Amino acid sequence: MLRTHRLTPFLFLAPMLALLTFVFGYSLVKIFDFSMRRIRGATGPFIGFENYRQVFKDDVFHLALKHNALLLLAVPILVILSILIAVLLHEQVRGWRFYRTLYFAPYIFAIPVIGIVFSNMLSLNGAVNQLLRGIGLDRLALDWLGSSNLALWTLMFVIIWRELGFGIVLYLARLLSLNEELEDAGKIDGANWGQRLWYITLPQLKDVTEFYVVINIITMLAWVFPFVYVITRGGPGNATQVMELYIYNFAFRNSLPGMASAVAVVLFLITLIFIIPLFTLRQRTEGGEAS
Amino acid sequence: MDTPTNKRYSRRSFLKLAGSGLAFVSAGAFIQGCAAPAAVPAAPAAPADAEAAAEAPTVEEPIAEAPAQAATTLKMWWWGEQEAPGLEKWLKASAEMYKEKSGNTVEMTLQDNASVIPEFQTASAAKNAPDIQFLWNGIYHMESVWLDYLEPLDDLIPTDVLKNSGATALSVFAGKQYRIGWYSAAPCWLYNKEMFADAGLNPEAPPTEWDELLKACEALKATGYTPITGGLKDGPWGEWYMGHGLTPNLDTAADAVNLFIGELDWREPRYYDHWTKLDEIWRAGVINDDMLSIDLYPGIDLFGSGKGAMTAVVVPLIGKQVETLGMEKVGAMVFPVSGAGAMNNLPIADSQGLGISSQSASKQVAADFLTFLHDPERVNALYNEVRALPTDTSWDGATQIKDEPFKTVWQTWVANKDAVPYIANLMPVLFWTDAMFVNSQKIIGGEYNGTQAGENAYAVTQKWKEQNPDMVENYKAWAADLAKV
Repeated sequence: MLRTHRLTPFLFLAPMLALLTFVFGYSLVKIFDFSMRRIRGATGPFIGFENYRQVFKDDVFHLALKHNALLLLAVPILVILSILIAVLLHEQVRGWRFYRTLYFAPYIFAIPVIGIVFSNMLSLNGAVNQLLRGIGLDRLALDWLGSSNLALWTLMFVIIWRELGFGIVLYLARLLSLNEELEDAGKIDGANWGQRLWYITLPQLKDVTEFYVVINIITMLAWVFPFVYVITRGGPGNATQVMELYIYNFAFRNSLPGMASAVAVVLFLITLIFIIPLFTLRQRTEGGEAS
Repeated sequence: MDTPTNKRYSRRSFLKLAGSGLAFVSAGAFIQGCAAPAAVPAAPAAPADAEAAAEAPTVEEPIAEAPAQAATTLKMWWWGEQEAPGLEKWLKASAEMYKEKSGNTVEMTLQDNASVIPEFQTASAAKNAPDIQFLWNGIYHMESVWLDYLEPLDDLIPTDVLKNSGATALSVFAGKQYRIGWYSAAPCWLYNKEMFADAGLNPEAPPTEWDELLKACEALKATGYTPITGGLKDGPWGEWYMGHGLTPNLDTAADAVNLFIGELDWREPRYYDHWTKLDEIWRAGVINDDMLSIDLYPGIDLFGSGKGAMTAVVVPLIGKQVETLGMEKVGAMVFPVSGAGAMNNLPIADSQGLGISSQSASKQVAADFLTFLHDPERVNALYNEVRALPTDTSWDGATQIKDEPFKTVWQTWVANKDAVPYIANLMPVLFWTDAMFVNSQKIIGGEYNGTQAGENAYAVTQKWKEQNPDMVENYKAWAADLAKV
């Protein structure tokens, strides 16, 4: 048996560990540090939890938090739509490869491009409303982006439109790798399409669903900035204000990176609150299956 | 077979060596990274310190500069092509001429309007700022002054060039000027003379009081025209409107600063009167109905495409509207919000400008280039080639400008000694995002009236004071400066 010094493995690990610590750990520590300072330029005096106090008493932050929470409603919609469309494509309907490409296409478009196109299409006198008016549905020609009651839902629609393709491809790839014997056994036992989907297919998609849910939670909490920035700028009247835009405004416009860091820490913790239970659940499930 | 050489360079020994080396380098970088903040200079100086610093001989002595003959490469970050097409070509030509004259090179980077100031501040914080920086007026560069990122220009640029550059009082702090004017960005309103005539209005006499404006809007609407066009989705229209609307109820620009920092109360009716009036014209249906779902420029383009009778612009945008509508159709007017202040219905002066980083190693060369941009030939070319109106008051605009509405704009906005500063450039960004932007959108959305807008503005000033206690004294000092103007 090859004998090595007990510290040797750690020596090999050291470079990557140092790199990871520098790239991720240092940034994280600095954000926590900044969140407790009144930063002007590159540094500033230590002010304890004052930035957090200011953030939590700010109505705009409450609105941002609420809007991010509402955007989480898109997660189940994305999961359900992705599964349904992927299953339909898996049935290999005529032209399914074309549809697969079509559904995936939005995912490869740059978000600013999508934002500009939808901004124009969804303005009060844009293409969508002109079409609606053209076919006599004037009452449905609403101010999709200019109404504070509609803007967030319009934004959610655009996000779903863009993110759906990834889910479809993800589920379709998993469906294509499933063991067909189980499906055949179900057919022999007389299970109809719905029963086979519910009892045979969906349980086998659990891993993909967990991954997709986690990705989408992160997206809705911390990845919607480009949509908001390009399409609504947080308006009208803060109706689409989200935490990332709030962070951006404080970091780059209000010259208060300390406040921005405090919100970033809050966002980080909120994301952890969602993600850790999901991973814990997954580990328990895997442990149960293994035993 | 293990030869001595093989032993020396075995895979294991190589990995050990590489691992140790990398670990050492990474640890070194890590420690250095952790230590970096300590090396960063202190936060912005308190006003008293800033004043002392401004008085101190911070300007490099010529002897410390690169020799005039030695080739220097200046970095310049700028913005403006978006609003004044042709500016890039003019700048490049200027840089070429300057290179021939001095041997020095100017490397220019055109920035986006959303990043041009934040990028400069970030680069300055990282001690990597460009030598020359584009600067909007007022708070957009004054924060950089307070952070000691900008060099006063008084000892670098000849006094007459600096004072005649049209930088306005908003470029001065504690007696030092930090920005040299470049071209006019004065906010004004355009009107369509043909539509005015169609509506039975005098095309050569646009409204000068609020009541006259309302009557003109009624007449235009009755004729089938949209009286006012604009786009508010991105915000600047609301800023321009506030600039036009609040000014008539103020006596000096200092009043505006005092409002923004809570020394005056937004809940007093005269301070939210302009928002009440915005509510009034919106409810009267005289503004394009899609205002909240389109951005500023598409809103202006509605005017240019003949779909509206009046619109708010800044001077550099006039050229495009004239080009599309025709010179004979476009008139310029002061937006007549009407108020009780000493600055009632006066034209507003504003300019785009340039400054020099306090971190520049070649401040005098940078200053020479800025001075060169004010050479009479370059100033003439700025108007003739870009159609941007120079703010250089030594320029003979009255002779050089032949066409309307540029002639009127020059006389009324640029060369007019009674023109007042653009007070919207005094608002802290938090007020921009949380009060001005929100108020104007909520008024157009029917969610706020003037009183509610005033209450929100007051609440935002209180919030700003709590979040920026260290900035309040700077603003107070600035207000004291502006009160003397």
